[in-house]
Amino acid sequence: MTNSQMEKYSAGFGLSLIVTILLNPIVLLCKELNANVMSALKSALGHHWTTHGVILIVVFFVLGFVFSGMKLGTKLDSEKLMKYIIWAVIISGIIIAGFFLPNLKAASAIKY
Amino acid sequence: MLNQGFMMSHVLFGILGILFAVALFVDVVNASEKNSGRIKKLSLAVCVLIVLAYLIGGYWYVVYYGGDRDIIKAGKWPWAHNYFMEVKEHVFFLLLILSLYLPIAAHRIGSLTDKKNRNLILAISALIILIGLFMDGAGGIISRGVTIGLGR
Repeated sequence: MTNSQMEKYSAGFGLSLIVTILLNPIVLLCKELNANVMSALKSALGHHWTTHGVILIVVFFVLGFVFSGMKLGTKLDSEKLMKYIIWAVIISGIIIAGFFLPNLKAASAIKY
Repeated sequence: MLNQGFMMSHVLFGILGILFAVALFVDVVNASEKNSGRIKKLSLAVCVLIVLAYLIGGYWYVVYYGGDRDIIKAGKWPWAHNYFMEVKEHVFFLLLILSLYLPIAAHRIGSLTDKKNRNLILAISALIILIGLFMDGAGGIISRGVTIGLGR
């Protein structure tokens, strides 16, 4: 393994991390904008947030093992992976924070 | 009392996770053969602490938070729940998944004397620290929302 190639598990789970980070706001938007999805998540494990979390954890590990078997280390290096992870976190964070931004309107009405 | 115990444990494990991530960051900046074992142990500790914070905080959120939520929403800071709790509970998943990946990367990536490998671990640690600090701040606002909702 040269320095420009990644070990299979760090590459596979790294790519899985990116997919899971981007899946998080997608699940959020689906459940918040679709009452059927929300009720399905609630009925699956008793609370939509619990089901949401379990989906992400399962996807992370399943895709991690799948990607690890695909020899992605030859196509990825640590530098590329780092950039993709940072961008995925920024995009996911902006979507989550932006989606709930209208809820902040009430902040202007603070009275002490 | 049990309610408060769960909440304090959630905060305690979360803060310890952030502090261990800071220690890991510093160790990785100075990575060498000497501290490679400690780096691996620290990455595992961060993962375990954040997972504990997630499990305990998640249990508290599902079982106990409903009462606090009603108090916040009826008070003068409804956005403490409507914005900060909603964002916090979903951004937490980013922290959780990053923490799950951290020990995998630290154990398998190879030599941390290689700059690219070192930067990847540094970036993940930094993201965990930054998101963790946001969790702390949002938690403080939510807690204040309850106090204000109770008229104290």
